[in-house]
Amino acid sequence: MTDARQNPATVLSDAAELGTKMLTGSQLLQNIRDADVQIATTPKDLVWRQDKVSLYHFRPLAEQRIAVPMLICYGLVGRWTMTDLQKDRSLVRNLLNLGLDLYVVDWGNPSRADRYLTLDDYILGYLDGCVAEIADRAGVPRINLLGVCEGGVFTTAFAALEPQCLNTLTLTITPIDFHADTVENRLGHGFINIWTRSISPEDVDRLIDANGNLPGEFMGAIFNQMSPMRSLLKYNLDLLEIADDEQRLMNWLRMEKWIADRPDHPGEAAKQWVKDLYQQNKLVRNEWTLGGRPVDLSNIGMPVLNVYASDDHIIPPATSRALAGKLGSSDYTELALPGGHVGVFVGGRSQALFAPAVASFVERHDLPKKRR
Amino acid sequence: MMSPLDYSKAVTDFWSAQGRALLQAQERVGKALTEGMQAAASSKVPKMPSMPDNLSPAAEDLARATKSVVGLWSAATSACSKLATTIPSIGGGDGVVGATFRKMVDPRNWTGATGGLDDVLGRMAEGPRFADLWEIERRYTGVLQAWMNLRRRSLEHNAVVLEAWLQAARQFSGQLAARNTQTLDAKAALNLWTDTANRQLLEAQRSEPFLETQAALIRATTELRVAQQELVEHFGKQYGFPTRTELDDVHRTLTELRRELRTMQREQRKPAPQMVSADAPKRRTSQRDRRKGARRGKIST
Repeated sequence: MTDARQNPATVLSDAAELGTKMLTGSQLLQNIRDADVQIATTPKDLVWRQDKVSLYHFRPLAEQRIAVPMLICYGLVGRWTMTDLQKDRSLVRNLLNLGLDLYVVDWGNPSRADRYLTLDDYILGYLDGCVAEIADRAGVPRINLLGVCEGGVFTTAFAALEPQCLNTLTLTITPIDFHADTVENRLGHGFINIWTRSISPEDVDRLIDANGNLPGEFMGAIFNQMSPMRSLLKYNLDLLEIADDEQRLMNWLRMEKWIADRPDHPGEAAKQWVKDLYQQNKLVRNEWTLGGRPVDLSNIGMPVLNVYASDDHIIPPATSRALAGKLGSSDYTELALPGGHVGVFVGGRSQALFAPAVASFVERHDLPKKRR
Repeated sequence: MMSPLDYSKAVTDFWSAQGRALLQAQERVGKALTEGMQAAASSKVPKMPSMPDNLSPAAEDLARATKSVVGLWSAATSACSKLATTIPSIGGGDGVVGATFRKMVDPRNWTGATGGLDDVLGRMAEGPRFADLWEIERRYTGVLQAWMNLRRRSLEHNAVVLEAWLQAARQFSGQLAARNTQTLDAKAALNLWTDTANRQLLEAQRSEPFLETQAALIRATTELRVAQQELVEHFGKQYGFPTRTELDDVHRTLTELRRELRTMQREQRKPAPQMVSADAPKRRTSQRDRRKGARRGKIST
């Protein structure tokens, strides 16, 4: 029985259109293999490796205009491949096309054997090793560092502890004040901040000790909680909406591939991340210590560009913008980009804004050849 | 061919029957556990001599939590039935949207809309089953106790989520009543429901009851995993297999050795102290200095 208020012809037409869409989508999905869905395809070479950490050097896509190389440092939650998701949505490609000499560090896939690695190891060990290697290869005393999310915290701490190694610091979607989610208190924003404060430090220790690491799957579930109804619609209506459009379907599958790649977070480092930072908010208070040394933000004397997403529900803008006034550097610039946490990197609107702003910033502070 | 109205009714009936069957099964499980534990405590089951005294109260807590959810679930069933019967009167849209809509107002999806955390926690905790280990009853009972506590905490958390769903259903019904459903197509109704439910659940996620029951659920999951690990370690020791604790010891040692090595490499990269004058600007190291240092990570290219 059809709805009496609808014209039978319209109903038939709608049904035929839906049938065609489903058939086309079904054929497309049947023909796509996992190997067809590639991310992080910009050519690069492995130049340094220690334990599970790999440093890659991207091959140039344009004439190098900026002498000081830049290292992209992602965090341990997720992977850097988000910065090079696909050809037309790639911070990496955009920066290379603007003449940067670009590197990226990949933390690998930590297993239970890596449970005792600390943030001290990652920041003062591996990241320090990468920076030294790049400086050595390029023959420069200092490099440019770009941190993303948790990687932004790594680079901030490194900049405070080893300021002489950096020419500039670019932070993107980086939490500095982990309690500043309360500034705007927007519904659906800053749930991780609220959630981490709701569990006791003892429970954090017990959870991580029992599992060895903080499982990537667990963090994925927490992220899904942040958009509960969206998660329910994702694999039915959302997928159906794009099923007959190959380009949109491939974009969607590439994003799915990135989301599915959630490495486990090494246990001891995860305890520091949750307890020292999310719970006790030590970074912004200059109370955090790494390798027995205080991480004092006022030691950061190099130029800093702080990029945040104006609609970031994972790292609310106020948590990033808290960096203002805490630095030793007077050369501090904030850049608000449209979109959310991931949209800043893969969204259409930010493509024309993000990389040019970063390139312009590092070019302004590039080292003259005679000083290198 | 089944009419949309018949289809809706069938879905509703099916869902209601499923919900009731599930809850009845849960009640039966709770009751059976209580009776089983009481029987064990009174030595009627010969092979569980070291059963702790507090196991029966744990089973009662589980039954109590189950009963509490039963009430909420019934209310949710009733609300969902009303919503489901509204769908055929909403015009337009296609069958997929209608079917999705029906699925979306199903409270079972709501309890799962916590991002699959419960499932993930369950998988993390439950791992392999050890059903026939009566000879190590103390550890086994510890696992059982932890399992029952996990079920109880899960039910308590689900009750909070169900309350949020009921609130959303009430709001949505009010919004529908205030509109002319004759002009509202299924897609618009789905969007309205999604927005309403999303807001309600996000508000619930910030509430003390949600956060407290979720923290308790995580704690219970952890305790179950620990109890399982103790059980497995006991076997490992008995039969000479390397245990998780022993492997962790090795990994700790290895991590510490690597850390020391990195520290030494780092020290080697630094220029010798006598080479730096007191007023010289801070400088990390020269290319030459670095080349003198250890290059463990170097890849020949």
